[in-house]
Parts: sequence; structure tokens; C-alpha cells
Amino acid sequence: MTRRLPTFVVPLLLVVTAPVGADEVRYGRDVLPILSTRCFPCHGRDEAARHAGLRLDLESEAKADRATGRVIESGSPAASGLIERVTSRDPDVVMPPGDSHEPLTAAEVETLRRWIAEGAAWGRHWAFEPVVRPEPPDSTGRGPAGSPIDAFVTARLIGSGLEIRPPASAHTLARRLALDLVGLPPDPAVADAFAANPSVAAYERLVDRLLAAPQFGEHWARLWLDLARYADTKGYEKDLGRTMWPYRDWVVESLNADMPLDQFTAEQLAGDLMPAADADTTRKRQIATAFHRTTMSNDEGGTDDEEFRVAAVKDRVDTTVQVWMGLTMGCAKCHTHKYDPISLHDYYAFYAVFNQTEDADRGDDAPRLEMVSSDERVERDRLEAIADHARRAFDAHKTPDTPEWLAAMGRADAAKRALGEFEQSLTLLPVMRELPEGRRRVTRIHQRGNFLDPGAEVPAAVLPAFGGAVGKAPPDRLDVARWLVSPDNPLTPRVWANRVWARLFGIGIVETEEDFGALGAAPSHPELLDWLAAEYRDGGWSLKKLVKTIVMSDTYRQRSDVTPELAAVDPRNRMLARGGRFRLSAETIRDQALAVSGLLSPKMGGPPVMPPQPAGLWRSTYNTKSWIDAEGENRFRRGLYTFLKRTTPYPSFTTFDAGSGEICQIRRIRTNTPLQALVTLNDPVFLEAAAALAGRMVTAADGGSLTDPTAIAARGLRLALGRPPRVGEPAPLVRLMADARSRFEADPSAAETLVRASRARLPPGETPSAGAARIVAASAILNLDEFLTRN
Amino acid sequence: MTSPAGISWQSLDPGLERARTVTRRHFFSSGGLGLGAIALESLSARDGCAAGEPPAASNPLAVKRPMMPPRATRVIYIHLAGSPSQIDLFEHKPELARMSGQDCPDSFLQGKRFAFIKGVPKMLGAQFRFERRGESGQWVSELMPHVAEVIDKACVIRSMQSDQFNHAPAQLFVHTGAPRLGGASIGSWVTYGLGSDNENLPGFVVLLSGGKTPDAGASLWGAGFLPSVYQGVQCRTTGDPVLYLGDPPGIDRGMRRRMLDALAEMNAAEHAASGDAETLTRIAQYELAYRMQMAVPEVMDLSREPRHVLELYGARPGAVAAADTATTVDVRTLYRGDDPTFANNCLLARRLVEHGVRFVQLYDWGWDHHGSSPGESIDETLPIKCRQTDRAVAALLVDLDQRGLLDETLVVWGGEFGRTPMMQNNVRTELKPGFIGRDHHPHAFTMWLAGGGIRSGLAWGATDEFGYYPVENPVSIRELQATILHLLGLDPMRFSFSSQGLDQRLVGPTNEGRPVAGIMA
Repeated sequence: MTRRLPTFVVPLLLVVTAPVGADEVRYGRDVLPILSTRCFPCHGRDEAARHAGLRLDLESEAKADRATGRVIESGSPAASGLIERVTSRDPDVVMPPGDSHEPLTAAEVETLRRWIAEGAAWGRHWAFEPVVRPEPPDSTGRGPAGSPIDAFVTARLIGSGLEIRPPASAHTLARRLALDLVGLPPDPAVADAFAANPSVAAYERLVDRLLAAPQFGEHWARLWLDLARYADTKGYEKDLGRTMWPYRDWVVESLNADMPLDQFTAEQLAGDLMPAADADTTRKRQIATAFHRTTMSNDEGGTDDEEFRVAAVKDRVDTTVQVWMGLTMGCAKCHTHKYDPISLHDYYAFYAVFNQTEDADRGDDAPRLEMVSSDERVERDRLEAIADHARRAFDAHKTPDTPEWLAAMGRADAAKRALGEFEQSLTLLPVMRELPEGRRRVTRIHQRGNFLDPGAEVPAAVLPAFGGAVGKAPPDRLDVARWLVSPDNPLTPRVWANRVWARLFGIGIVETEEDFGALGAAPSHPELLDWLAAEYRDGGWSLKKLVKTIVMSDTYRQRSDVTPELAAVDPRNRMLARGGRFRLSAETIRDQALAVSGLLSPKMGGPPVMPPQPAGLWRSTYNTKSWIDAEGENRFRRGLYTFLKRTTPYPSFTTFDAGSGEICQIRRIRTNTPLQALVTLNDPVFLEAAAALAGRMVTAADGGSLTDPTAIAARGLRLALGRPPRVGEPAPLVRLMADARSRFEADPSAAETLVRASRARLPPGETPSAGAARIVAASAILNLDEFLTRN
Repeated sequence: MTSPAGISWQSLDPGLERARTVTRRHFFSSGGLGLGAIALESLSARDGCAAGEPPAASNPLAVKRPMMPPRATRVIYIHLAGSPSQIDLFEHKPELARMSGQDCPDSFLQGKRFAFIKGVPKMLGAQFRFERRGESGQWVSELMPHVAEVIDKACVIRSMQSDQFNHAPAQLFVHTGAPRLGGASIGSWVTYGLGSDNENLPGFVVLLSGGKTPDAGASLWGAGFLPSVYQGVQCRTTGDPVLYLGDPPGIDRGMRRRMLDALAEMNAAEHAASGDAETLTRIAQYELAYRMQMAVPEVMDLSREPRHVLELYGARPGAVAAADTATTVDVRTLYRGDDPTFANNCLLARRLVEHGVRFVQLYDWGWDHHGSSPGESIDETLPIKCRQTDRAVAALLVDLDQRGLLDETLVVWGGEFGRTPMMQNNVRTELKPGFIGRDHHPHAFTMWLAGGGIRSGLAWGATDEFGYYPVENPVSIRELQATILHLLGLDPMRFSFSSQGLDQRLVGPTNEGRPVAGIMA
């Protein structure tokens, strides 16, 4: 600001602005978002982008007495240059400058004016304030389960005319819990038993049983693997295969063991730096470090390995900060963050911590951990012994070129080759390994993000704006892990509590799960979020405990239907006066269809599998490994185990918004598209599931045969939806079956074709037309909105 | 946006507004439609809609008004994956020809990174004859006689520049604005910004030829951080044209219709019980899927074209190229000049834009002519690739023009970078037939644009006498992207989407990518 500021102008806009409610204006909630987006790009931390030498992110600078007057004069909007500039109608004066920016809205101006009038109290962005466990509001309105969650939610509902709704039906709750906790539909018998006695105690037993099920780890691992950018290939041009599944299995096991977040964090970021007494623990900790070896590597001819090594390290930095702290570091690679307190120097200081590992975009992904099972060890010993024996037998022949000598040489070669081939087939997992002294790298700032343009040297450090360093200086990866989960870190517990909440309600308390910085969304229930964060952190970082705390609340258990009143007052359920209702995830839709049709394989772990996908998709440039549709059990494994090739992910999952594992995916944005309908109608996986479900529809719960069409249709609905059908509900299916049957009877070959294509097994004596008609009805059931939705 | 009383919460909470959290209402937040769409959505959620009709605000592909008057409404983007040699196609450089075989001057090598070139390479002049063609007198090589006939319809940019010199990152840079995976492709951006004119077809269609997927794979047409509904839909000429489009064996249209009727009846009952507007959207999407099942095969059926049109392009309905079915051998050894796959795709592109598809992306693989192994040389393979594409590309311009579609259809032709004016020397240092090649060259290359809003008959920019650097009007990838958006009525500086704490833009975070005024009519 170089012009003299006239201090008497009362801008016209203010006169016509309506007052904005009686609530006091708060810096972190109301003011900072405006300053961050509208002012900080040119008047913030980034020195290179700063105009007129003015900083508005620092109170001392913003309120300083400048030659041209004060930009912010506490208590006096009229004397504050800020207000004059943002309301000016002179294009040379108005801020932000008119050529490329939108002017402030009247409401934004009014917020700033009132804030200054009320004394311009300074503060920090809400998410950077320490997490202090808030006292739950007065228990008025708290439900019978007595959860503080309900007290927080009720407090916000006061005055809205809304209140916490009654619980959903017992069958709905049983299905909701099962889908949320283990990603599978409930066992019908368990759901019925709960429905017969839906007490809070029975509900709690249901919760405990699901939390203890091994499928819990499989389901919640999917969330974690999205964050970990897990994939079964290396990415980029060649996108060759890579063995990562032992790490996936480690995640499942750790979640099932309810490994506390601090340990879960330390082992994945720095398991190699945590020596353990026993070999097994040491090995597991090494496996955990594959978390940061999921970064892509480029095997394209003519690439500069250092370029892609650097890209991988930057990915590790960005992913670490995104996953634990909900902050975006991406922009600080090239310049100081314009909105959040992360400078260019901070970025490369943090980068320096991760810049000391051995991996270097090598073709073989070294360093790798040899994962040898006891069977494999026996086999290798056996082959080694044979090779050894053959070698010694050959050495024993003193006369070369005799037939005996030649035969012995042949045997020795063959034995050696067999050993070599076996060793090739062993599982080798890319892991992190710290560079030894003497080979440590010096980190310099990459000017404008370009690694070929190094600047000043930077020593390793944690991000200074978020709690002090933990451990030694300079810190290593283990110190960073401890810093991330230290009690002083304000972000980690909030980000995690929010993430878990979002999985259980369909939307986070902070909707932008990926951004807790100044540009992120404000929390709908700030105190509830802090309470959950404190519970999680202070209660030993137990995911299962946190999940249980949430699902035991009345808030979680509410019915989820949308009344006209709710649709009008709170269309997006931000006030939580109803239960969450949202479409299931890609993998859950598949798993559920396989489960209700009885096809799902319970097998856990191991190498990824290739269920049917349309032919001809894997035509990428180099990878000649082909997709061969699995037969038998591997056709029906949980979606978690489906081979994920980064450049050609499994198509039906992509259609339902799953990612490609290329980058850290904080949340999946749900869409609702016609291509999804094509998957569940026509994908052979769903067709086979429909045929199998059709097979189950003729058998009653007690094992008896069903012949009445209404009973058959009702049985299908019961199996798929997990609740008894409503009166009249099977009727459309009964009519569909009758119609379909007469159509098939007019064209029996079509019925035979469908039965064959869907691999249906018809009950003895049934005509193909009757069987095919039931497959059509079963397919309709698997496409019901309610089936695809968690309600 | 002034604030009517009913939405003042929105203004009080700019963080929330900026979050643009990509639930359905945010599909409408571009172009200042945000608040109106919210009001509309809450209306439709309250009042309900007839089954079969998508609630107006819930269709993320509904046509949206551009931010400013557009010069083009559709795009056909032809990408030659691997990158053709501009030196042998468009850059007439007698001085380079004179220098051919001599050592490359040191000044060109200082501080440069190459993918494969080692030491001091030899200069390599064009391997083919050039002529001035058309009224505009543009230089075109003998490899593209048909394109030469229509060169007056195009604006040839001879001064393109990239900063990526490996295929996958360079392709990603061209198509997503960032050399890494995870960005949104230009077709996704355009579909997000403008919606689609035909609700029975995908808004963004991708067609492949040459036997392989481009180096960076499906990420090139991915939606990245945009909602997945905007990702490109690969339409195939063998098998289902869209994945899972065909009904299962034994289910005919009548059966499908009957089944969907029962499904809609049951879903409508579910909506009555649940009140969830999403259920109505789902009912509508099943109906749309049903219509797509008929519309897509129709538009993809080339046998509906008259013989003279097929001949114009050199298209052959139902033909499957050897390179497309090979699985084990290197497809490059299977290239034939009469492979009609690319020609078929050009004709499909015209049919698709004619039916209202917003963005058609063609990728043709096989243009990476290093000369280091068989089937990838300038002297032998480039002529084959040109025979596969030259006639069809020219036909596309002629056909679009004859149908009055060229005025509003922007056609783009190019690779991800150029090729060196030097011979690649890492395998052979002497010229040998079938092994004459060039390395990757990001510093200067040629692309051309034609149609909607483009100044036709123009050569834009120029390179030095060796074709090494631009000496006049260099055009960056970002400027090209900005120009495409601008022509479509989308302000490249303001057209953004909030993700990962950044207002993501196709043209990146800096303001260097401005539309190139000189090439627009």
C-alpha cells in the first residue's frame, strides 16, 4: 500500500449491509478464512510473493503504525486501512486488485468490520490450537446410552426444532453395524437374535463381536491402504508388478490386533530404526516400512533415477503430512505455503528427514526384504543341498570331456538352475533402510521445486509451527513418528478422529478430511471433534475403542430416513439429527453381493487375485503379464485382494469411485452414475452372484424347500437386505418372475444361455426357464437402492 | 455474489464455501452457479421428482453455461503417443540437411539432459522431401500428402515447448497439466465445466489405436481430483464398446426393460419410505444406463456410414488390426500402412461429436522412433504410421467442414514432445536403413489446431535453422491448454476446483499459461 489512506471515507457498501447475527466474530472461525484466501496470497508468509512489504498473517505487522496509517486499528473500522481498501470503488485502490480477483462480498466486509470494531482480537487457525478435552454440555437431552457425543449433538440442535431421532430398527442397525465395522452384511441368525431382544446390552455384544472379527481388519485396511497409496504395481510407463501384499497383510493384522496409533505410526514410518529383541518382531517392523515404499518408481527407458527418487521422497513427505496432520505440503515444494505456516525452508527440512534412505528408483526396487516361509526355507535348503551335492560330484571327476564328466556337469548345472529359479519365485518386499554414516545425503532446498537447481543446505527438522521436536536433533524418521503422535501435536488426533467419524456417518465433522488448514472446511461440531480427539489420544490411541465410543451413541443409532422437515432444515445432515445414509464403497458392494449369494471366500491374506474382468484391458505398453480370470476360490475373494494395477485399475471398482493407488487418497468422493448401473446389472461377477442368490432363494431359513413365488421372492429380499420384507414388498418381484418365466418359455434357448453364462446350478427337476426367471429377479434384488446403500 | 437472507450462513462460513466438498451441489459451483444450484437442489429434494426424470440439480453432466462466449463447443484431440518427428513432417531446415552427419555443436549439448543420447551426436537432416502447400504456403513433408491438401484449414504451431522429456510424465503434463499421476485430464476439466449435450452418451470419450495403451495409461483420461463421473470413458471397437454395456447372454432388451420396471417400482417405494433424493437419482441413472445401452452401440456402428464416407477416411467397419490383437510379440513389428483402426477412430470421433459428445480423445500408439530396435525408425516406421493416419486426419477436417461442424469443433493434433535434430547414437553411430532414429526433444516441436475459433492457414512461431529452439513466439504446454479452455469459453485463470488445499487449475498454480491470442480467429 503506497497511497495515503484517507481515514474519513465511509464506504457506501457498509450502509446497505445487513447485520450478521448477534454472535461475536471469532478470528479463527470467521476472520482467518477471509484473510487466508483473499489477502495472504500477496500479504502472507511467502516472501517471494509479498507485495508492498505488508504481512497480514502477523498481528504485530498488521497492526503496526505504518507511514500510510494503520492497516488494522483495533476498535475502529473507520481508521483501518484494510476496510477502506476492500470497500473502495476506485479500481486503483481496491483490494484484492480488481483485474484478476473477485471483490470481497458484503458479508465478508461486514465480518471484518465487526471484528475490528470488537477489538480485532487475534488468534490462530482453530485446528492448530492444542486439543483440550472439552466438558460435554449439560446432559439435558442426552439419550439413554448417555454418550457425551449425544450431549454435544443435542446442544447444537437446540433452537433448530430438531432433536436426536429414535434408533433405526433392529435389523437395520445390525446391517449398519456389520457393514460399517466389517464391510459385510450381518449373519441373518445374529441379526434375528438381536431383533428379538434389541437391548443396549445386546447391541453392545453385537458391537464387541464385530470388533473382534478378523474381517474388521480387512474392512478398515481398505481405508488405510487408500492413504498408503497401496498398489500391486510400480506405476508410470511400464507399471510392472511389485510384491506389496505382505505389507497389506501386516496392516490387516495390526488393525485386528488394535495396534495403538502411536505404534502403528512408528513402525510404518521407522520400523527399521526400532530394533527388537526377537527376530519375528524385527521382521514385522521391517514389513511395516513398506508403507513408504509404495511410492511409484519409473522404469521407463532413459529416465533419470535421481529425478524419480526425489519424486518418491517428496511423495513420502506430502503423504505423511496429509495422512497424519491433514495438511497439504504440495505447494511448499516450490514456494512458502500461502495459507498455512509451512515455509519453503520447513518443507526441505522435513524432506531432509526422509532423504536418507537407500532406495533410489532402482529397477529391482532394492532394498527388499526376503520373505521366506518355513516351507520355502525347507525347499530352498533341499535345493541347495542337491546343488551342492551335484557340484561336489562334478568336482570329483578328474578327467574332463569324458561322457561321465559331461553328465555330471549337466546335473550340476540343472541343480543350480533349479535353485536359481526357486529363489526368483521367493517373495521380496521393498522396505525402507537408512543410509549408513558416510553415505548420508546433504539436503538442499530445490529452488522453485526443481531438484536440478539446489539452493541453501537445510538440516533435518520437524515442522516448527506444530509442537516442538521430539527426540534428538537432527531428528530421524523415528523422531518424526513420535512427534506426529506426541500430545502436543494438535492435528493428528483431530484428523484421525474425524476420519473414523466420516467412515461411520458418510461425511466428516470436518468435511474436507484432506485439509485441516486455513482453506479447509470448518467443523460442524468443533467441541465434539475435540472431545473425540482427546478420547482417542488420551485413551491409548485405540481405533476399536474409538469406533465403539461412536457406534454406542444415540447419534449413530438414529434412523436415517429423511423427513420433509429434515430435508428442508438440514439437507446434508450437518446437524446430525438423523443417522448416516450413503452408498456403499466399491469393494463393499462386491463383497456384499458375494456374501448374500453365498459365494464369498473367507480366505484371508496372500498374493493378490484376478477375479473376472473384461478381456483386453491390460494392453499397456510394456507389461506383458496378462490378466487371467481366476477360477475357484480366488474368483470370490474380498475386493481387498483384487490385483491393483495402477495404470489399469480393476474397472468396476473405479466406476464406484475407488482410486488407482497412484497417490494418497484421503477420501473417495461418492458419485452416482449410469456406469455404476451397468456394473451391477451386467458385470459377470454380479451375474454369478445373482445366479447363486437365485439358488438360495428356494431354500427357507430352516432348510426346507420353498415353492410359493411370494415366499421365494421374500426369501431373496430377506437374504439381501437383512430384514423381513414389508407387506406387499415381494409383489413386484413375483410379477417379474412370472413375466420373465413366460418370456423364457417362449424362448427356452435364451433361458439356457443365461443359466450357462451365469454358472447357475438349478435345483433338480427345475426347467431352465423357471431358473432363469429367478436369476432375473435375483439380479433386480442386487440392484435395489437399499442394497447398494448403507442406511 | 450478494447474499440473500436465506443463505447468509454460507457467507458467514467462507471456509465451508471454499471447501467445495464435491457432494452433488458442488458440481455446479463453477461459473457462479453455486448458490442457485443449492437452492434448486433443496427444492427438488423437498418436492420430489417424477421417477425417470433426473432431479435437475443432481445430474452432474447437465449442460452448463460457459464462463464467457465460446468459440468452440467440442474438442477432438488426436494424440500421437511416442511423439512424431517434427523435423521429418513440418520443419523444413535446409541448413540442418547441410549439416547432416556432422557433430552436433557443443552449444546445443551444454547442460541438456537426454533420454538416450550419449556424448556428441551427429546432426540428422530430414529424411523426406518438403514442399510448400496450400494457399498459406506451409511446409509439409511428402509423408502427409492428404494433410497437405487441407493444411489451409489448420494453424501449425512450430514452436511448441515442454519441460518433460520422458513419455509418461510428458503425456501427463500435456493432458492433465502436471507431470505426475493424480491430476484431472483436460477432457475431464472440459466436461466438468460444460457438461454434455447428449445425456445418452458419455461426455468424454477416449478411443485407442496402434495396439497399445499410451505410456501413462488410463491416468491420461482420469478425473484425478475431480469427481469420477468426469473421467473419460474408453469406447472400444471390439467387445463391448463401453465396459459392461451389453446385457448378459440370454437377457434381451424386452427382458431388461421389464426388469428395470420392477426395479424402479421397488426403488420408488424405497424413496417413499426413506425420503432420500439420492434414490431418485439412482432411478434416473438406471434409465440413463438403459438408453446408453442402445445409443452407444448405434453411434459406434460404422457400418451405418455410406461407402463414400468410409472411403474418404479409409475406414473399414469391423476391421481388427494385427497390432490390436497381438499379445506376445512387439506390436511395432506388425505395423502395416493399411491398418484402419486409426481411421475408424477418426470417423467415430466425428460421429460422437455429431451426437453431442463434448470431448473425444484419440490416442495412437507407435510414434517413438528412436531407431534403436526394429520397427521404431524414422526411415521405415514413420512412413507406415503416416500412411495409417494421414488420410483419415485430413478426411476428418473435410468431413467436419462439409457438415458445418468444424466451426464449433476444435481439432488438436500432436505428440507429447518433439524429436531431436540429431541422430540418436546410443546403439548405432552410423546411419543404417531401418535404424535411423531421433531422441526425445522437449525444446521445440510442432502441433497443429483447426476448427472452432482457430486462425486457419497460419504458421505460428518458428525455430532456428536446425529446428532446435524456438526463435519466435514459443508456445508452452500451459499456453496451449489455456488456449483450448479459452476457446471453449472457460477462463483458464478462474476455472478451478478446490482440492488438497489448492485451487487446482488445468494451467497450474502460476499465471504463465495465458491463451495465445495470435492463433485465435
